[in-house]
Amino acid sequence: MVRETLPVMETEWFQPFTEQPIALLSEEGEWIGDFPLDLDETLLRQLYRDMLAVRLMDERFTVLLRTGKISFTAPMAGHEAAQVGVAHALRRGHDWAFPYYRDYGLALALGVPLVEIFGQMIGTRADPNKGRQMPCHPSSRPLNIFAAASTVASHIPPATGAALSMKIQGTGQVAVCTFGDGATSEGDWYAAINFAAVQRVPAVFVCENNRYAISVPYSCQTATRTIAEKAHAFGIPGYHVDGMDVLASYYVSREAIERARAGHGPSLVELVVYRYGAHSSADDDSRYRPREEVELWRQRDPLVRYQRFLARHGLWSEEWERQLREEIAREQAEAIEAAERAGEVPAEWMFDDVYAEPLWHLERQRALLRAELQ
Amino acid sequence: MAREITYRDALREALREEMYRDERVFLMGEDIGAYGGSYAVTRGFLQEFGPKRVRDTPIAELGIVGAGIGAAIGGLRPVVELMTINFSLLALDQIVNHAAKLHYMFNGQFTAPVVIRTAAGFGQLGATHSQTFEHWFAHVPGLRVVMPAVPKDAKGFLKSAIRGNDPVIFIEHSLIYRNRGEVPDDEDFLLPLEGAEVRREGTDVTIVSWSRGYYLALGAAEELAREGIECEVIDLRVLRPLDIDTVVRSVQKTNRLVVVEEGWRTLAMGAEIAAAVQEKAFDYLDAPIARVGSLEVPMPYARNLERLVVPNKDQVVEAVRQVLYQKQPVAVG
Repeated sequence: MVRETLPVMETEWFQPFTEQPIALLSEEGEWIGDFPLDLDETLLRQLYRDMLAVRLMDERFTVLLRTGKISFTAPMAGHEAAQVGVAHALRRGHDWAFPYYRDYGLALALGVPLVEIFGQMIGTRADPNKGRQMPCHPSSRPLNIFAAASTVASHIPPATGAALSMKIQGTGQVAVCTFGDGATSEGDWYAAINFAAVQRVPAVFVCENNRYAISVPYSCQTATRTIAEKAHAFGIPGYHVDGMDVLASYYVSREAIERARAGHGPSLVELVVYRYGAHSSADDDSRYRPREEVELWRQRDPLVRYQRFLARHGLWSEEWERQLREEIAREQAEAIEAAERAGEVPAEWMFDDVYAEPLWHLERQRALLRAELQ
Repeated sequence: MAREITYRDALREALREEMYRDERVFLMGEDIGAYGGSYAVTRGFLQEFGPKRVRDTPIAELGIVGAGIGAAIGGLRPVVELMTINFSLLALDQIVNHAAKLHYMFNGQFTAPVVIRTAAGFGQLGATHSQTFEHWFAHVPGLRVVMPAVPKDAKGFLKSAIRGNDPVIFIEHSLIYRNRGEVPDDEDFLLPLEGAEVRREGTDVTIVSWSRGYYLALGAAEELAREGIECEVIDLRVLRPLDIDTVVRSVQKTNRLVVVEEGWRTLAMGAEIAAAVQEKAFDYLDAPIARVGSLEVPMPYARNLERLVVPNKDQVVEAVRQVLYQKQPVAVG
């Protein structure tokens, strides 16, 4: 069989299947990478701003939940470095993201307008999807962000299919699909990654391994030491990465994405993180996680580590932090207000878009509802 | 102009024409390449269109359907094949939670115009290879579910399904691939994916069926016509959206209804049709609606048992007599 000649990768800094998670920053914020950091100050600062915005947005969601404005939230605190790192490794608006339900950080860092995010969470006219999708499924057509069903891992086969379409059409795009550790037990996960590997499609599969699928610990989910090593079964590289390190998350994802773009096929990237909150607003994590464990991981806060890094390079100050927090709080408060001001979704819109064209039986229902509401 | 061709050839023509017409159309599934498909629908396609457009996939139905959905989101027009409808169970979540809902949940911003071809049928293949699940899919808003009985519909529907923007569950039947019928020559012959069709006019009883069941209904109608009983035979053709109005109009004329389906009757299409007809035409009914379906057991393998389980023409005839309150055949003349 003739294999097409593929471009040689410019950089291959990372080894798959390492014993220890790949990290580029020490806990004290020192650069420990064995290659030169090639990011400019603007991006380095942006990474921090996005992480902070995600942390604050997570807190906003909790407030909205407690005030009865939203029905559900899946806390992301602890995942910021992973989500923001992956988001910046994508070519924004060109590549596609297939996030799972904890990935507002990915959406935020890719630039989904805040008013759309809050509009979707609350379910108002500000939601581009007309109030049809439950909270925590961040999507954007212009930015190629697709978060659909909540059935765990079910978005992974479509991500493979989208990557297949990119390969067939030669678009130079990559599909990046994220999921939690629980998803790796699903048949969808195996089917999708196997398919992607055998057809060499430009996809990157990213596991945000926070060690719990709701309450079920990693040790009950899989017998493998890492998620990354499961890549052996597919014949693709698997990277075991410290997902509390934004630069490691960014660089490894970037390498995997560019590898896929160059035609070398998919990779599996495991970002080891810890979720500080409960699985969702529907559970109480103190029933299944010892407080000491949570506290231990809180000591490894991804924001603090990165803040130390920035401070070492003169890119962070208390003054800047204060300004940032004020700015972000204001932006988010304004977005919530705008989302609420947009008003309720009109009831008659419910019947739109079930099919590409309106169908008679839905028009009958619309007429009946209209009569009932009048 | 029209030619008489088989149901299989009608499908082949539809696929070939649409693949030539639109390079975004491609095929994906198990054994569709060198093998040519389990029912030989894609035989020769690999040679004609190459491996980029005729793709054999790993055996994972949810992967095939899921990747089809993703490829559709990505701008292509995938036609995926699931070997039989029994195996569609492995892809149910992809079909129900993704294909059916994307257009709605994303307000039309993302769409999944994927065509999922599969085959119903039986033939001594046992309990897990002989089922009919069309009503499961017909239950779900957002899907279009078609089950053509004749070559003309097979071709016209498949071409429309490929060109349309909705996900379509396109259900064939293993026992009618060799049936022949007239198909227009026009390469742009399309049929809208909706509407039942009255294929035989009659005044005494309405028989509704679809796919292979239509042939049972027609056979029964022809037999009963020899006794002077004129059955109106409706081929439902499309199960979602369900054209109940055509059935109701017919019942308003005949006042009697028999529904023929191949599978279990409990909570299936016949139940829905009977419920809808009594809602809309209760006063027109002169007899309880009769349903003909299979015995409610998993399909046995042994030939003698299978024959007893699936409905046959004689049972349709008996059901017609039942709604006519007849014990004896009517004397001709």
